[in-house]
Amino acid sequence: MKALMSVGALIGVLGLLMLIGMIFGVVPSNTVRLVEGYMPMQVLSELAVFVAGFTGLSYLANSMGMAFPRFWQGVLFWAFVQMYLKFRIYPPIPFSVRAMYGVVSFVAVFMWVSANEEDWKKFRQPILNVLDANTGFHKALRTMYLILVPLLIGGFSFVTMKPSVDEPIELRTVHPAPPASTKVHGKTYTLQTSQNPYRVNLEGKYDQAYSNKLIVEQGMGRLMAPNANPWDEKAEGYLKYVREGGEIFFQNCHFCHGDNLNGRGLHAFAFNPIPANFTDPGTIAQLQETFIFWRVAKGGIGLPNEGFPWASVMPPWEQHLTTDEIWKVILFEYWHTGYYPRTWD
Amino acid sequence: MSKFRVNVKASPLLGAALGALLISASAVGIGHAGDLPEGFAKGELAPAPPADMIEAGKRVYFTKCVWCHGVDGAGDGPGADRLWPRPRNFNQGTFKIRHTASGELPLFNYNEKTPGSGKNDLFDTVTHGLPGSAMPPWEGILTEEQRIQVLSFVTTQLVKDRKFTDKQSETQTVLQLGTIKPAEATEDSVKKGAQLIVDKKCIECHGVEGRGDGNAFNLKDDWGFSIQPANWHKCWNFRGSRQDPYNVRNIFRTFSTGVNGTPMPSFADSTSVEDRWNIANFVNSLCERDEEGKPLGIDPLTDKPKINFVVPSAPVEGEISSDPENEMWKKQGRRYVAMGGQITHKPRNFVNRIDDIWVKSLYNEKSVVYLIQWDDRTKSIAEGKLPWAPTQVNVENFGVKEQAPKTGEEGSIAAAQNNYAVYNDAIAFQFPIKWQEIPAPFKPRYLFGDAKFNADILKWEADGSLRSFKGTGWDQDFEERDDFEEKVKLLKSEWKDGRWTVMISRPLKGNKDDYDEYTRFDIGKYIPMVFFAWDGHNGDAGRKMAVSAFYYTILQPPIPQEVYIYPAIIAVGVVFLEGWMLTRRANKKKGKVL
Repeated sequence: MKALMSVGALIGVLGLLMLIGMIFGVVPSNTVRLVEGYMPMQVLSELAVFVAGFTGLSYLANSMGMAFPRFWQGVLFWAFVQMYLKFRIYPPIPFSVRAMYGVVSFVAVFMWVSANEEDWKKFRQPILNVLDANTGFHKALRTMYLILVPLLIGGFSFVTMKPSVDEPIELRTVHPAPPASTKVHGKTYTLQTSQNPYRVNLEGKYDQAYSNKLIVEQGMGRLMAPNANPWDEKAEGYLKYVREGGEIFFQNCHFCHGDNLNGRGLHAFAFNPIPANFTDPGTIAQLQETFIFWRVAKGGIGLPNEGFPWASVMPPWEQHLTTDEIWKVILFEYWHTGYYPRTWD
Repeated sequence: MSKFRVNVKASPLLGAALGALLISASAVGIGHAGDLPEGFAKGELAPAPPADMIEAGKRVYFTKCVWCHGVDGAGDGPGADRLWPRPRNFNQGTFKIRHTASGELPLFNYNEKTPGSGKNDLFDTVTHGLPGSAMPPWEGILTEEQRIQVLSFVTTQLVKDRKFTDKQSETQTVLQLGTIKPAEATEDSVKKGAQLIVDKKCIECHGVEGRGDGNAFNLKDDWGFSIQPANWHKCWNFRGSRQDPYNVRNIFRTFSTGVNGTPMPSFADSTSVEDRWNIANFVNSLCERDEEGKPLGIDPLTDKPKINFVVPSAPVEGEISSDPENEMWKKQGRRYVAMGGQITHKPRNFVNRIDDIWVKSLYNEKSVVYLIQWDDRTKSIAEGKLPWAPTQVNVENFGVKEQAPKTGEEGSIAAAQNNYAVYNDAIAFQFPIKWQEIPAPFKPRYLFGDAKFNADILKWEADGSLRSFKGTGWDQDFEERDDFEEKVKLLKSEWKDGRWTVMISRPLKGNKDDYDEYTRFDIGKYIPMVFFAWDGHNGDAGRKMAVSAFYYTILQPPIPQEVYIYPAIIAVGVVFLEGWMLTRRANKKKGKVL
């Protein structure tokens, strides 16, 4: 038990040191990278590791006779969660969202310290001690609080009231509702019934099961399936179209959406909204191929208002590409990210 | 020791011949430690990677790399012709960022996986990418194993003219960066460096102020494509910055080993280690910093400076100075505005040579003034009159075209650099005209507004003109507004040592108090703003330009009195609350005792 707790304590100390280093900029915040697409899970498991570490620390301190008051455990853990959210998560979470998490974690800590009568007594004892101020030390502490609290609250309200030039927060809908049909190069496509004409098997029939077998494999790197190289001279049908789509992608799209389709292209840093990250399980993996077709063909300017058409630099690709080229690029995007397009049924 | 300084600028054929000569010359020299430039030591060639690793790397290459670097690694993939710099041609074994002496192959060892060890140059390049080019960092995308595998494939199969394991022809003279102690960036060291860059003729290419404007037209790489000297003020664009742009060691390394395939030589044998540190410290000191002289915050997702989308304008009493060095301007903080190519509508600008601008703003009771500064290696003013009217946006018929997707090396965008007709450098910004009527977050489109909500555009061109336009859509020619033009003022426009400084003043409103024709600036409101920039030597004109995202400008109000009063009241209230609580507690306790 003790050994296990020691390991926990070690992890806790290491994690804390790392976080403190990140706060003061000594340790680069990307030392342990947040892996794209797995961020929520990673954050939760990191927090779990921290909790285990703190449990170990507290146990060790207890067995060495240096028990940590329950009151400070609660306060510090809450402060820790706040620091973690502010300094660990990137891109930064806006204050309003952090405040929400702050309330939730406060409630959680409160429930923890008031789980039973004994714990609750332990928790509030330090507060009562200061309030009653029976010793000289507690008297001094009480005087300090009496002066500090009004100053802090006054200062805080001054800071919030002072006119600021912070960036206004604007919430944009990333996947707005699509229209029933869209007209591209004179032809009308009904989104519910249209199909990618290049998602075909060797007989030339629409066949998603066939193409699904040839897309790149999931997992780190997302590499092509063995023996499914679109650059193979003998590649034909689906794989040949994938290559053609890739050629179009790397002549037109990678400037923003990036060489790895993760939205980190050459020009991406300058734009807001940032280009879509196709490797994120929340983008094309959640959408039908025809939805993508509509978005690609009509671009940013074709978005409904909730999608901020005025700000998006996504070109209406019907101005640059033929319909066939658009379908091929979409084929390539699904191939390269290893996702299946969602189907209507 | 002149062998390490010889630099190959001529045709690839001549280059290869010279290279062979070099290598044979250096082979003779090995063994005499005294012959090595200071800070270098002789290294061993790394072992050849095993065949299964090469085979695995092929799979990585044909998933990720082939699209730019091409089937044979000749840097001619489908994406190549619209890129500048072009993707690397691996065939010759010429690699820019190395720890090895000039002309030598870079370090690559399939056994060495520690990032930043300084023992595996190619691994570090793939890991961190080459900022300022289209090569992204592959860390977090490919595993370490996969990165090593793909390099095993590239170094053995696609590097064709040289062999990483050939002891007869290849040597490794390795910069011992791990063991050399860096010199502190003291004032003295930086001062010495400032003198050294003149003595060593660095300024001939990099320019007097280090903005890469010294020899902006004539530099060519080994393949005959125009290239430009690094701008020392944008260290985040240094190819060798390894995602750590303010780290002086990267500059020391590049300066010591040179950049193969380019006119940048190695200064290792003509410059002592101490002097190299002095120069590196000086170059590092030039990189843009914040008001306190601290490095700018770098966004880890983009490896560029962090962006704040608000351009605040501070109030001043009386006349606004036209001198950027004036105290009122120096006091006002500047904002970094990122610029990307206009890639939405034809003609798209795949290579924008202006990738950021710096903006400051002040206002008084009559006007608001914008001070805009940006780096441009070339001052461009069109010779003679331009064939189109200043209001014309659709200038494709006059030869302002976008790069065709596939033209081969000769017709590529890289070959076109510095061969364009020269137009005017220019800067412009737009505001919505009736922003008061548009509820946030709605805005007129970033590209010259739209038919419903028009944009108020001010455009300055390097021929000295400052014009006011109304924009009604991305494909609509501008409407000129002479009556307003009399009211806007060009306070300053100057190109000096690779940097434009332009100061533009405009009235806070039109003649009347309404806002039907001109943007009216109301204090304390967020007003959407978009910037546009044209580099005349990049063939930029019309829609072929650089463009920013939506920013907000805000005239900062003077702080109202309530801001001081209310918090004081709140604080007093809290004191009363405390008193009440303590009394209550005391009474309760008394009650208990009794």
